[in-house]
Formats: sequence, structure tokens, C-alpha cells
Amino acid sequence: MNASRSDLIRLVAGREIAVKLRDKGFLASTLVFIAVIVIAVVVPALIEGDTPEYTVAATAEARPVAEAAAALGADGGPSLPTADITVIDADDPAAAVSDPEVDSALSLDADGSVVLTAREGVPGGLEELVAAASFSLTAQDVATEAGLSADQVAALTSPAAPRVELLEPRPDQPVPPELVIVIFGFMFYFTVLTFGVAIAQSVVEEKSSRVVEILVAALPIRWLLAGKVLGNTVMALGQVLLIVGAGLLGAKAIGKGEIVTQVIGVSGWFLAFFVLGFLMLACLWAVAGSLASRVEELQSTTLYMQIAVMVPFFAAILIQEEGPLRVALSYFPLTAPLLMPARIATGDAAVWEPWVAMGVVALTALALVRIGARLYAGSVLNTSARTKLGGAWAAGGRA
Amino acid sequence: MTQATLQVQELTHDFGDRRALDGVSFEVRPGRLTGFVGANGAGKTTTMRAIVGVLAPDAGRVTFRGEPMNLDVRRRIGYMPEERGLYPKMKVAEQLVYLARILGVERATAQARATELLEALGLADRAEDMLHTLSLGNQQRVQVAAALIHEPDLLILDEPFSGLDPIAMETMAAHLRARAEAGVPVLFSSHQLDLVERLCDDLVLIHEGQVVAAGDARALREERAGRRYRVAVEGVAGWTPALAGMTVVEAGERTTLVDLDDAADPQALLAAAQAEGPVSHFSRALPSLADLFAEVVR
Repeated sequence: MNASRSDLIRLVAGREIAVKLRDKGFLASTLVFIAVIVIAVVVPALIEGDTPEYTVAATAEARPVAEAAAALGADGGPSLPTADITVIDADDPAAAVSDPEVDSALSLDADGSVVLTAREGVPGGLEELVAAASFSLTAQDVATEAGLSADQVAALTSPAAPRVELLEPRPDQPVPPELVIVIFGFMFYFTVLTFGVAIAQSVVEEKSSRVVEILVAALPIRWLLAGKVLGNTVMALGQVLLIVGAGLLGAKAIGKGEIVTQVIGVSGWFLAFFVLGFLMLACLWAVAGSLASRVEELQSTTLYMQIAVMVPFFAAILIQEEGPLRVALSYFPLTAPLLMPARIATGDAAVWEPWVAMGVVALTALALVRIGARLYAGSVLNTSARTKLGGAWAAGGRA
Repeated sequence: MTQATLQVQELTHDFGDRRALDGVSFEVRPGRLTGFVGANGAGKTTTMRAIVGVLAPDAGRVTFRGEPMNLDVRRRIGYMPEERGLYPKMKVAEQLVYLARILGVERATAQARATELLEALGLADRAEDMLHTLSLGNQQRVQVAAALIHEPDLLILDEPFSGLDPIAMETMAAHLRARAEAGVPVLFSSHQLDLVERLCDDLVLIHEGQVVAAGDARALREERAGRRYRVAVEGVAGWTPALAGMTVVEAGERTTLVDLDDAADPQALLAAAQAEGPVSHFSRALPSLADLFAEVVR
């Protein structure tokens, strides 16, 4: 019946996980989060959609215009929309559009102008293409009459597009990195806050129900703390992976494989920094819980922790312009877990930089875990009233 | 084999400038129920917390079987804290299994024991209920089960009887008695002096952080009995003998209580009673635990 440290820590962690898995609020928020991510990925793609398809009925006289419009839509010149236009024959424009398959009908009126007939409205892209086709044909006629050569006509009707030269080209990315940073930032903010509060609550629950006395008689306080932190870290990481995974699967399902490649590329650093950053703060969340003696006091004892999570989040989404402040914050332990991966995502960090920042965060985590463990040991058994930090520190030294 | 005795030696502890424990020493012997008695704030809970390692005393030491209370020893204690301690939102059986596993019991064994204990405590039908849905008395029984789940070698129970109805109290007493008879030293605190008097083999009386009496319960009472005798003469109410060196303390309907001074001979009292009528009772009157308690805390 000897006490094995790893077994006991696993047991405590297992209970934390089991409690969380049965917590309806937690399950609901995870599902909502997954739904939001999937919708955010899938819906824009659906709206953007594939090349629109139009069926145009043309009278014999208007057929050249319709065919020119179809050619322009297929070719998709630099300033023209792309569309897949099917041209069918028609005698009476009004009768043709009564067929729901037909989007609009083309005819020429008495003075030769193009008439576009439709039921309720003409799709914007189609109207633009027809106008361009009509202009092009007219210009061609006029130019031919004026005796211009075929090349001159071509130059007139389809002018060459300007050549674009970029001095600092952005990497070719399907999703703007700023958006990736905001999504990861928000997800981490949300997760750290949820699980941080969960750790604090679990600690104060054991305190207020006095279970902690039985537990502390049976296992070292630090093991209890380690089990709690481990259980919640596993759950937090699991939740993040689930959400990211759902988003990526969604992207894959709608055929946006390039999003998957891009996000997986940066998410490694985000996740690595997330785990370290979470561990760095987890013990302090436990301390915030152990300083309170009742759940009602959590609001005030966790205040500084909430700030410690909120500041990095806003720093990451507000400071997106590379500069000395951003560089400095990407090394500062509290903000590094979000800002360093953000700099990587925007391509502003050198290869060695994340490793250094990670070292800084790891060292800070080590120090905070030790400080947190001592404060926790010094305050978790004081069940009568709110504990002051100084008192907890002194008592923790004896425990 | 080392005797499975719990020894508490010179425990001293201050809370701020208040001395909670002042050189507390006593022992809890195997196979005996030891009652821990004292007024509110006398230091019972602090002592028990120091024994199980929840509180580190400023000075003094505690040993069990001659070993200091290291983690392995502490894990063999069945502990019931004063303010109780279980997860309110966890199912009763699951909770017991969890605590048993924390204390090193295999899952299957833990499940079997939880079922067994809940059965014995009359809670078998509540095993799958959340703890907080049980009445306080029933929660208390679960707490007892939690203290017994790992078949501890030592029981430290802070107020195990408070809040129990008379029937539950008897069940609990039987449980403690059975454990003691199995050779487990049992220390429990209580305010119910009549219960302690009836149940305990040994006593520890604590007052303002100091142990004022400790040892075999009967010996302690005998020690303080002095020379008071109780006499009953059949058919005689309010018998009031007038004998040299004797003072009648109380002449009741059925019995008379007499204090003898050092020179007086109890046999003279008996002879006088027999002269009055048939003597149905003649004994040295032992102080009740309440008397003893009142005396030592004065």
C-alpha cells in the first residue's frame, strides 16, 4: 500500500477530468465553440462559392452578343467577373424567361441596342459581362469600319492589364495571418480563463467541503496540486485540439486544403506556447482558489489572474504592427505565449526567436510553479477565512 | 512485534499569540476505545489534526508503532475531520471508491468494500445518489464509511457521534467497538459524556491545551472517587444515619449518599444500615464522567 507519486497524481487528475466530462456547462460550451469554428470556416466558402452558372436565351440577332459575353465570362479578364454562361436559342425573350432554368434573355430592339430581359433582377455579374461584350462588339464594328487592323482592334477592345510589382510581397496565404492570430488568441484566452477558473473552483470546493483535510492526511499537498494542474491541462489542451481539429476538418471538407496546411504550419508554435503558458499560470490559479475560503470569494481572489490572461489577449490582437513594443512583448513571459507565435504567423520572427522566448516562458513557469505550490500549501488548509498572501507564504514554508 | 500504540508526546502549538496546545501527551492503545473529552476550544481538534498531519505543530512529536507519522503511516489512518469532508456533487459509492484508491486500495477491492460498508450502514440504496441529496445524518454515515474504507490500522475520529440519531449512534458505537476489538487503536472526541462513559476503555481529558487526566477510564474515576458510599436500605426512604466522621450528602427516596472522612470505617456504615433493615445496595460511589470533567476543569 505504499504511496506511488505518479499513481496518486494520475488518480487526482483522473477525478478532475471525470468531473469536467460530466459537467454539462463544459460540454455545452465546447460544442458551441466547435460549431462556431466550423461555421466560421465553412460559411464564407459556401457564400463565396464556385463560378456562377447562368443560362441565357438569345434571339438570333442577339446571339453574337451572348456568345461574346460567354467568352468574356469564361476568360475572366482582369476586371471582369468569371461566369459559366450557357447560351440557348429563343424567339420571344419574355416567353423564354418564364422558364425558371433561364436566368435572362438577350434581344436587340428596333435601333439595334441590346435588351436584357429577366424576371425579377439580372445577376450583377451577368449584366457586367453583357455590357462589356456589347461594348466590345460595337467597338470592333466601328474600328473595322474605320479601317483598323485586327491587332489594333484587339488592343482597343481588350487593353493589356497593368503589371503589378510588389516591393514587400506578402506570403501567399489563403487566410490572413491577422485572422489566425485573433482566432488562436481568442481560443486561448477563452480556454485559459475557463480552465483557470475551473482549477480555482475545484480547489475552493475541496476547501469549503473540507475534503481537503482527508486528502492532505493521505497524500502530500504538492501531489494534490500536481494532479489538479495535470488533469486540467489535459482537458484544456484536448479542448483546443478538438476545436482546431474541427475547424481544419471543416476546411478540408469544403476543399480548402490550403487553409489546413497554413494553420497546421503555425499551430505547432501556438500549441507549444499554449501548454507552457497554461502551466505557467495553472498553479497560480490554484493559489487564487486556495486563498478563498468560499466560492463567493473567488471573484476577488482571481481578479489578478483574469487580468494576467486578458492583457496578453488584447496585446496580441491590438499590437499587430511589427515594432520594438511587439518584439519586447513577444519575450515578456505573460505575453510571449501569444505574441511570439503571432510574430511567427506574420513572418516577422527569426528562426531562433521562438526558442529563446520558450526558454524564458519555461523558466518563468518553473519559478511560478514553485511559488504557487508553496502558497497553495500555505493556504489550502486555512478554511476559516480568506488567507493573505504573506500568511500563505510563511505557512507554506513550514508545510 | 512493536505494539500498535499511538503516542502523542509534548505537542505544543500556538495560533498567533494564543497557545492552543501546551505539552499535550497521551497514548492510544491497541484494542481500546479512547474517548477524547474537553470543552469547546480545549484543543481536541488541533491535537487530532496534528496527529493526522494536517497541521504541523510548533513542537512535539507523534509516533505510531514507534514510527514517526510519515506519509506511509499517515495513509493507514482512518480520519474523520470535525467539519466533515466529502465532495457534495459526487455519487456516494464513487466517492468512497475514489478515496479508497487515493489511500492505495485496488479498484475492485475498493468497490467491494464500498458496497459492504454502505450495506452495513444501511445506505445500500443511496450508493448512486449525489452526496448532497442525503440527509445530514446519512452524510455522516458516509463519512464514517470513508474513514473505514481502507481498513485502517488507526482510527482518529473527530466528533463521530454528533448529529446522529440514537439508532445510528448505536450502529456507530458497535462499529467502533468491533474495530477496537480487532486490535485497532481508536481515538474519538465527543461532547456526549454519558456516551463516552459508557463506551470508552480509556479517557483523555484536555483543558485549555493541557491534558489534565489520561488513562484507564475506570481507574481514573476510582482515583477521584474519594470515600463516598452509596447505600440502599429496602423499605426505608431518606435514611439519614448520624455517625461520627460521616456526612450525608444526599438522602434520596431509594439511596443515601454518604461522605466518610479519613478515620471513618465503611464497615461501620454498613453495620448501621443493616441495623436499619435489609441492605439492597452498598458500594463506593464513582464520580460520573460529568463530575470528573467538572472537577478537572475547575
